[in-house]
Amino acid sequence: MMESKSFPGNVDSLDSLREYVGELSQQAGLAKKPTYSLKLAVDEIATNIILYGYQEAGLNADFAVLSEITDKELVLILEDVAAPFDPLAKDLPNAKDLTLSLEERGIGGLGIFLTINGVDEFSYEYADGKNRNKFVMKIAAT
Amino acid sequence: MKVTITEQDEIAVVEVTGDIDSKTAPEFERNAKLATEKSQKIAIDLTNVEFMSSAGLRVLLMVFRNIKSQNGKVILVGVSEDIQDVMSTTGFINFFTIVGTLDEALVILKQD
Repeated sequence: MMESKSFPGNVDSLDSLREYVGELSQQAGLAKKPTYSLKLAVDEIATNIILYGYQEAGLNADFAVLSEITDKELVLILEDVAAPFDPLAKDLPNAKDLTLSLEERGIGGLGIFLTINGVDEFSYEYADGKNRNKFVMKIAAT
Repeated sequence: MKVTITEQDEIAVVEVTGDIDSKTAPEFERNAKLATEKSQKIAIDLTNVEFMSSAGLRVLLMVFRNIKSQNGKVILVGVSEDIQDVMSTTGFINFFTIVGTLDEALVILKQD
């Protein structure tokens, strides 16, 4: 059974969104480091939804966090009603970009890079008029 | 998030308290820019920052470029392990001096 919680689509929600992700991580028994990585990943994708999907498009809407905790994993889905946007379709910085000096590098795609890098699985789909960004964290057996 | 700037012997100290995300990064950026206009020697104290997203990395990039073009120096203070991990993943860590306390940063900045 998926749990669902919705948030207003503006940057004021980011604080409470991260807090909520922290609560879910704790319930799932996730360690401190993966908890931070998940908070960061969710914050980065939610920021894109809020700034580009909603604000830039003049859309005033909520987004939802769906979640499910099992013995093995924490699954979290960000669901929004903005125009279809696949974060994976953008070019990500490659290994060479990340060694470039800070004077010559571009900054685009860094948030999505951190997202993919920080979670065990990340996927995107557009279904029923909604963007669904899915994050999966494996729970280490104790 | 709260940002304060203080000046000590031509060194501008930017102290941040709270999370740096896309809501608060503009305020951090405004203050950091002000600091680089006041001084070529900057310490950014992140001891009381638990969370920083890529919006914060963008501000650090701006500070680095401004300071570099003035032949100045920037030192980061009290960067949490989580944030250091992110700086390491993105390659940012190689371009910044990171120290544990503000006193250490002031000693280094005064030497230059």
